[in-house]
Amino acid sequence: MKNLLKVAIGFAALAVTLPQAAFAAPGDTLKAVQARGALNCTSSDGNFEGFAELDSKGNWHGLDIDYCRAVATAIFGSDSKLKLIPVSWAQRFPSLQSGELDLVVKASGWLMSRDTELGFQFSTPYFVGVTQFMAHKELGAKSVTDLAGGSVCLSGGTSVEKLVSDYVAQNKYDLKLVTFEKNAEAVAAYFANRCDAYTEWGPIVAATRASSADPDNHVILSDNLSLEPEGIVVRQGDDSWVDVINWVIASQRIAEENGITSKNVDEMKSSPPNATVGKLLGVTPGIGTRLGLKDDWAYNVIKAHGNAEEMYDRSFGEGSRYKLPRGMNAPWQKGGIFYPPVLD
Amino acid sequence: MKADLVMANDMFASPVHTRSFIETVRKDYFSTPVQALLTLICASVIVYVIWALVRWAFIDSIWSGTPEDCHAAAGACWAVVKDRYRLIMFGLYPYDEQWRSAIACLAVLATVILSCIPYFWSAKRLPVVWVVGYAVFYYLMKGGIFGLSVVLETQWGGLALTTFVFASTVIIGMPLAIVLALLRRSKLPVISALTALFIDGIRSLPLLSILFTAAIVLPYAMPDFLVGDKLYRVIMGAAVFFAVYQAEVIRSGIQSLPAGQEEASIALGLNYWQTVSRIILPQAFRFALPPTINQVVIAFMETSLIVILGFFEITASGNAAFSAGGWNSFYVEVYTFVALIYFVFTYSLSMYGSYLERSLRLMAR
Repeated sequence: MKNLLKVAIGFAALAVTLPQAAFAAPGDTLKAVQARGALNCTSSDGNFEGFAELDSKGNWHGLDIDYCRAVATAIFGSDSKLKLIPVSWAQRFPSLQSGELDLVVKASGWLMSRDTELGFQFSTPYFVGVTQFMAHKELGAKSVTDLAGGSVCLSGGTSVEKLVSDYVAQNKYDLKLVTFEKNAEAVAAYFANRCDAYTEWGPIVAATRASSADPDNHVILSDNLSLEPEGIVVRQGDDSWVDVINWVIASQRIAEENGITSKNVDEMKSSPPNATVGKLLGVTPGIGTRLGLKDDWAYNVIKAHGNAEEMYDRSFGEGSRYKLPRGMNAPWQKGGIFYPPVLD
Repeated sequence: MKADLVMANDMFASPVHTRSFIETVRKDYFSTPVQALLTLICASVIVYVIWALVRWAFIDSIWSGTPEDCHAAAGACWAVVKDRYRLIMFGLYPYDEQWRSAIACLAVLATVILSCIPYFWSAKRLPVVWVVGYAVFYYLMKGGIFGLSVVLETQWGGLALTTFVFASTVIIGMPLAIVLALLRRSKLPVISALTALFIDGIRSLPLLSILFTAAIVLPYAMPDFLVGDKLYRVIMGAAVFFAVYQAEVIRSGIQSLPAGQEEASIALGLNYWQTVSRIILPQAFRFALPPTINQVVIAFMETSLIVILGFFEITASGNAAFSAGGWNSFYVEVYTFVALIYFVFTYSLSMYGSYLERSLRLMAR
């Protein structure tokens, strides 16, 4: 019996020490990806509308998928070498840590615990999600103030409930909160006209509206509650890999600022209107070598996937089923909160 | 005295009296006014439910069209199945290559069906069936030869993946279960105690945690060349889980044999392997058949658990079919379709089980 115990303790010790040894070594993700000839990025174990969703032919679409494609295009010149690995929410971080994935683009909020204890590094945010309200159009409401005396359906016991009740109390709105145990019940109650409005995380509100029988009869109100920045997640300790990802995100924002789109990018490349555009599109060399990529990487990304506005539009904006106003996701010049670093 | 005997004979004679249909209905369902009332109430409820179902599924239903058409209709929206059936049946498998997945799925089914036929139950025939069936499946799915493009395991999905995981679990798990059952009955105390520890240890863990460990934790603790694709690790996890339960089922079958069977075969001079393979196991399997079929059916249902590891087996691809593209409200139709597929499989398994029970009982006579 004692011997058995010893064996058990031995196995436990082995199990604790082994994982450290098997972590992918940081610092060389880009080299490993180039040597492998494939980028391993996240897709999903189901649809997360707007971020990662499947069409009838089994192809992936969505904002998260497009960022995977953009990073693959920056490295290889096209996204044909992108491997989209379906992982569940619970599985994404262990899979990143084990080296199965090179990056996680899966609507992952930039949280301190993930950034520190869990040993991950976040890119600059590529999307911000806010809690938003949707109301029946016939009420003519533009913001929550206009709902005075009305009611809101929402799922109870969640962070959304606390957030909304604080918001209502702080602003002294005359609004009744009707909570349900499940989100599906709150949605059903809203569509059955039991409430004037429904509230959830913005992209979910937009997806709920798009899947209803009459999307045009519901409006998303202008109030924005509790912003959560979504970043691309990589293993901590590989600064140059984070640089690659950050500059892929930045390149599309710089393109938007300078009016470069997937349609006019060739024109812009043949006669750059300013020095920044020349550098971005690789006319003036330098943008590639600094990152360990080719000088035309940003050109390839913009040519294939467009600028930041086109990315948003395709997955959430007018080009999608969701028609979610860009709001805070716009650059600062257009009333949003985003800005690119300076390309010099 | 004689009269008593005649009476007794009459009592034991089988009743040859057959009732007409109308007579049966009248006697069993309308013998008293209360019973008649209850019959009428129940019958009208049944008729109402069936009528509502038929109306929903066939009369008011939409067979093709857009989500908007479906929102406008009162009945079932089969259009979602029509629009997304390729996704349900094949998951993420590349659209233009899905014929390969279809044939591969048939290959696994053929392997399973052939394995069920007693003619193939020999140490020579069964391995041939398995190797051929699996080679066809693997090379069709994975490609890379005969000009077929390579399709990675992460893109496998739908019915082909479900049947593959199920068949592999049982085909790997069943021999493993026999070995475990025999080891547990070993006369060497160390071996039987260690096997018992292994079996009870695995049985005390939930399948979900075993699958998660196999998929995610094992790569940390294994040398790279042994890791392989996540799919095969998950199948191994599921097979081990199946094996420990099945080992206990087989052991119960062995222990329900009279001790005289083993003693007699040893007395006849048969060695251990002959005793086990000719005397013990065939009889043990006959005793253990109902719980074995049970385990196999459970193994089929449990293939849906691999969804948490990001595999698009048929339940997960069913989920993916309705949760985007505007079809979100029509999950009942998709789940009905998936449930029908599950039903076909599990029902055939149970039918096969009862056929086997009947034929083995005949053999025993």
